[in-house]
Amino acid sequence: MAENKEEQLKAIRKKLKELLVSHLSLEDVVPEKIKDDEILFGEGLGLDSLDAVEIVVLLQRNFGLEVKDMSQGRKIFYSVDTLANYIYDNQKK
Amino acid sequence: MPGTNVAISGLGAISACGNDLTETLQNFSAQKRNASKVTLFESSLDYPVFEVKNFIPLDPSAMRTLNLTFAAARQAVNAAGLGSGFGNLRVGICLGTTVASQLNDTDFYRQYRDKGSAPMDSVERYLKSNLSKALAQFLKISKINLCTTIVNACSSGTDAIGVGLSWLRNDYCDLVIAGGADELNRVPLDGFGSLSVVSKDLCAPFDRERKGLNLGEGAGIIILEKESVCRSRGLTPELFLKGYGLAADAYHLTAPRPDGSGLEQALGQALKEAGIKPQEIAFINAHGTATKDNDLVEGRTISRVFGTKCVFLSTKGYTGHTLGAAGGLEAVFTCLGLREGWVPANAGFSNPDPEIGIAPAKEKTQIMGNYALSTSLAFGGNNSALIFEKN
Amino acid sequence: MYIAGIGIIFNRGRGLASLEKALTEGWVNPNSAYRVPPEALTDKAVLKEARRADNFTKMAVLAAHDALADSGIPEEEKQKLGIILSTGFGPHVTTFSFLDDILTYGDAGVSPTLFSHSVHNAAASYIALNLKTRGPTLTMTQFADSFQQAIILAQAWLEEKRCAYVLVGSVDQCGKVMEYICSQKLKVAVDGKIKPFNFSKNPESVPAEGSAFFLVTNEAKYNKYCAISGRPFPGDKEEAELLILDSDGMCGDERPYGSAVENNVPLTAYAPVFGSLPGLSAFSTAAGALMLKNGKIYASPVQENPHGLNILTARQTLTVHKINCLRYNCYLEELVIRLRRGAR
Repeated sequence: MAENKEEQLKAIRKKLKELLVSHLSLEDVVPEKIKDDEILFGEGLGLDSLDAVEIVVLLQRNFGLEVKDMSQGRKIFYSVDTLANYIYDNQKK
Repeated sequence: MPGTNVAISGLGAISACGNDLTETLQNFSAQKRNASKVTLFESSLDYPVFEVKNFIPLDPSAMRTLNLTFAAARQAVNAAGLGSGFGNLRVGICLGTTVASQLNDTDFYRQYRDKGSAPMDSVERYLKSNLSKALAQFLKISKINLCTTIVNACSSGTDAIGVGLSWLRNDYCDLVIAGGADELNRVPLDGFGSLSVVSKDLCAPFDRERKGLNLGEGAGIIILEKESVCRSRGLTPELFLKGYGLAADAYHLTAPRPDGSGLEQALGQALKEAGIKPQEIAFINAHGTATKDNDLVEGRTISRVFGTKCVFLSTKGYTGHTLGAAGGLEAVFTCLGLREGWVPANAGFSNPDPEIGIAPAKEKTQIMGNYALSTSLAFGGNNSALIFEKN
Repeated sequence: MYIAGIGIIFNRGRGLASLEKALTEGWVNPNSAYRVPPEALTDKAVLKEARRADNFTKMAVLAAHDALADSGIPEEEKQKLGIILSTGFGPHVTTFSFLDDILTYGDAGVSPTLFSHSVHNAAASYIALNLKTRGPTLTMTQFADSFQQAIILAQAWLEEKRCAYVLVGSVDQCGKVMEYICSQKLKVAVDGKIKPFNFSKNPESVPAEGSAFFLVTNEAKYNKYCAISGRPFPGDKEEAELLILDSDGMCGDERPYGSAVENNVPLTAYAPVFGSLPGLSAFSTAAGALMLKNGKIYASPVQENPHGLNILTARQTLTVHKINCLRYNCYLEELVIRLRRGAR
């Protein structure tokens, strides 16, 4: 079971990195080069408030997830890791 | 040119707060907030909005934004004693909008997308909807001197009035009809919704618990003219436009510069043009959209420039955020405040926000002094300010 | 005021060298529409903070950047700079993409990035961001009058010293939907050739896109091209020595041009180089300013001359100091941009 979870998280992280690059027009970023624990906002990947609300759309369209409260978003949107965990925990199984 | 005094000879306003000035003042006084669900178009969103109700369009074939403009302009033109025409005056029209400038008809686009072709009626309507030109035609001004529509997002109305001031100071015109208008529309409602800045409750400008803006619609129009022209028409002007400031944040497309320095620069320019000190401002009609970011940056900047004791308020609790109309409506409301000697309570406010550090008018407030300020902050980091004087 | 710098991006490329080349070479069949080549929009150094920007914004940012660079205004003067952007139709390609979102994903599933870029003033904000200038920044729209109105406001700002320099320009985009609308609303030239001297009641057009920006100032020492005005120059009663006609088929009835070109005044028209677009006069102004600076004339790219007028040919020699760009809008109102060589 645990192995299965790790496999699924790995797949989610890979998909997320590709989606972030394409959906947020991160022109010079290679998806594989984004580290799992890299901070997405501010330093790190350098995303901003407009990217944050765009990630909400990304989650909605690709994973069927609603982020209703943006204040909750800060923790979820910390890194690819935290995002992937959120998706894993909340996606309809 | 710097000596050109610009008088305000007529005001007109239509919004959810009232279809004319009398009704607006009554609703201000009673703190009445006429919000409802969207009725003007289909929407799956259940945000409260501030629609203009009981409104009979003067030209049923024209788009709603134009009709709101015509209604407010008719009030202002009549108040200025110009109801029967403009004679030989060199007239300019400068109005701000967002919706009227966009070809955004969903039905047209759906048909084009599905079939590769679509009827041209909505395109025809759009091509007839250049706001300033449409008003010139409505008012039957055959030879217009200057005619421009300002599309500076949420500061459009304020900037349109500022442009009018520039035209008069440069003697390009004798009189300018200026202001802004916008109808409630699906595109901005969905768009602001996607930015997570729309509140599901009634908006609470400058409140600690504010959750975002409500959208609204309306039009606010003022008649600006050179004082000499106004007097030569036998009028004794009471209100004047004294200064205009406009500055860019050069920071971000949707977020205001956190230190408020762009707004501060616009305020400084307006004060300099008016030739007054910050403490001479009797009250401030703030942009106050009730979003987290706007109110924090704007409130802190107001506090820094005008001190913690200054009287300020947002009228968006009565009208919602009317986008391109906001600057026009709020210029009218600012003039009304000076003329009537009071400003309404900042509707929706109850809890001071320690992060902002100052609180807006909690109740209907008598004002002391002759100068007042109206501010607008827009997408793209536009900061605009107008200063008015009562003689 | 004076033109101190020019930036241009159009169907034949970006920059003044492209402009000069296009004016020398003349008309080239644009095939259905005059579109800016994608490779002209890929300058990563200039567009580094514009990853989300649409092509409307990119055209404006590049043209404005180039106009400032061309002017040689010192870096420290940049904070005295204002920006006025004019557009006929705004970023409608992005607006239609946003409508796509509404139709596909519903009211609650739309992209905030598309929405924020569908606003007319997004491009001007990007210019300010790109140049890091904090002065007055304004966007205006008046269909075919937009550029003329922008020039007049730039003059007002300089006269009242709201700023010492203004970047003033025009941008319009031609997406697929706009091309369709043009095909329905206008008579599109099947041979791709605009005929500016036909002065027809129902003229032909070919839709276009592009951006042209000018750095203008009252400081005579920065005058690199010519004086420019959207209003009559005081005491300037003399006729222009050359008329650029902006008859591009965009505004309907072009018969008024016929009555405006008496006295055998030399004529030219560059719509066949730039295409039909609301801000055509901005592009004609760039061509006129270049002629005054270089002291040479560029032949009219289309020579069809049914009314026997004095149209500029390649063989003609002419010394010109005064050029007027003439445009009639859809209400048949006359709009004139005046260009004058020498001190003003």
